[in-house]
Amino acid sequence: MLTRPSLGFGLGLRVDHYEAILAERPRVDWFEVLTENYLVPGGKPLNYLTRFRERYPLVMHGVSMSIGSTAPLDLEYLRQVKSLAARIEPAWISDHLCWTGVAGRNLHDLLPLPYTEEALAHVVARVGQVQELLGRRILLENVSSYVAYSASQLTEWEFLREVVVRADCLLLLDVNNIYVSSVNHGFDARTYLQHLPAERVQQIHLAGHEDHGSYLIDTHDHPVPDPVWQLYEAALRHCGPVATMIERDDNIPPLEELVGELDQARQLSARVLNAPPATMPLAAQRAGMPAGAAAP
Amino acid sequence: MNELAELQGAFQDYLISGGGAIHRRVLGTAQVPAEIRLGIYAGAYASRLAEALGANFPAMLRLMGEEDFNALARAYVAAHASTFFSIRHYGDRLAAFLASDPAYGEAPVLAELARWEWCVGLTFDAADATPLTHEVLAQVHPQQWAQLRLRWHPSVQRLDLHWNAPQIWQAVTEESEVPPVAFSQQAQPWLLWRQGLTTYFRSLPGTEAAVLDAGRQGGSFGELCTLLCAEVGDAAAPLQAATLLRSWVAAGLITDAD
Repeated sequence: MLTRPSLGFGLGLRVDHYEAILAERPRVDWFEVLTENYLVPGGKPLNYLTRFRERYPLVMHGVSMSIGSTAPLDLEYLRQVKSLAARIEPAWISDHLCWTGVAGRNLHDLLPLPYTEEALAHVVARVGQVQELLGRRILLENVSSYVAYSASQLTEWEFLREVVVRADCLLLLDVNNIYVSSVNHGFDARTYLQHLPAERVQQIHLAGHEDHGSYLIDTHDHPVPDPVWQLYEAALRHCGPVATMIERDDNIPPLEELVGELDQARQLSARVLNAPPATMPLAAQRAGMPAGAAAP
Repeated sequence: MNELAELQGAFQDYLISGGGAIHRRVLGTAQVPAEIRLGIYAGAYASRLAEALGANFPAMLRLMGEEDFNALARAYVAAHASTFFSIRHYGDRLAAFLASDPAYGEAPVLAELARWEWCVGLTFDAADATPLTHEVLAQVHPQQWAQLRLRWHPSVQRLDLHWNAPQIWQAVTEESEVPPVAFSQQAQPWLLWRQGLTTYFRSLPGTEAAVLDAGRQGGSFGELCTLLCAEVGDAAAPLQAATLLRSWVAAGLITDAD
């Protein structure tokens, strides 16, 4: 097995919920922490983090690795990530398949890469370096995008698949990002999903977005909408049970609201994965397994 | 890697300076032209950094109001790209920007307020350290006192301010009545530090500030006493030195003495 067993259903850890989580011990199996928020010398952020770690499994999710940048890897950043990981022993560490700046600048955005052989080779080499430095496989997340480059030779899903297979890393599948990009670029989200290596999907993000009519903006500030739930269902059929979380970055509602949304994901997952053999994981179907083999 | 590097350079140049070289590399559709697609990134770039400034300077934002703060933030973003992997550190030059920008020359208190609020942030997540106790200090042999050097908690910050920025910051933060802006010709020394997880601050008498600064610069306890003698006279100096040290230890400012 490339991936670890599913951690169940989690939430992104947000400051607004700190006290409620400590007081209420909500029905959440694990939390995802934003790596950069805890790359600080000390004080409250790390103190809280230690307390959460005593109660829950944690995973680390970063935004500044800039794995696709042509600037050199930020070794000081990676050293701090490694040191934080040693402190909180996360189940895994993830970042995004994107670039965030060059020439010493950080644009603090997850910018898409051109899907070229050149970019592919570059990213694969850098993932190798990062995994060597951190001493573990990392997860890369697909980002939502608004531009397509004239230089691209591959589809996004071909590029993503080639990166994770060639670099031997894992995948954090953001189902909302697939949906947003599918609308923005006019591709079929299910085709995208079906081409991904199911055995490398370690985690799933669910989130909402903003509809601007002719395009969608990935704001992560709305509840998960129906098309994203439907795509999640397809993802579960393709991948089987995968650690899933609701990722809300803005317009943060009370904790119980997110826990309720997470329950929806639990129920949907139970329904899909315990369904009759016809709905067994697509990966198993494609592998030509007998219909009953995937039933739990 | 030339193609990829050129594309990234052009995209970054577009976001930071509005350069046009990226346009020919981006595909649009009839429904959503390339201009609009790129514009989504440009808009997000400026608003994300402005939002980060608001998060890093919450009292400034509340005091100035959204509109004025946003104008300041946009001007700062146009002048300073981020060089930090954590957006938490964006805004380190806001005080200097305010002090040098003629547009804010009529409200010099803002530059000091920004300086103050930045220091509050640094104190908040400075490294942890175990404070020295009175009991440990009591074990120092009398002959060693003159050579003793104090180690300070990593959260300690010292500022000298002409405006009543700390009082304004406190009122805004506690949502109480904001005092009128007040200027003093002679700068007022201030001290910020953290004890456990709580941030504290207080104004310092000039003598204490001078001695504390000398101590933080590595002066031995003997040198601090000599400084005190010059300030308060030989007779009062020993007692005052002991009083200062006791209060610093009680506040958790000292982590070691060697």
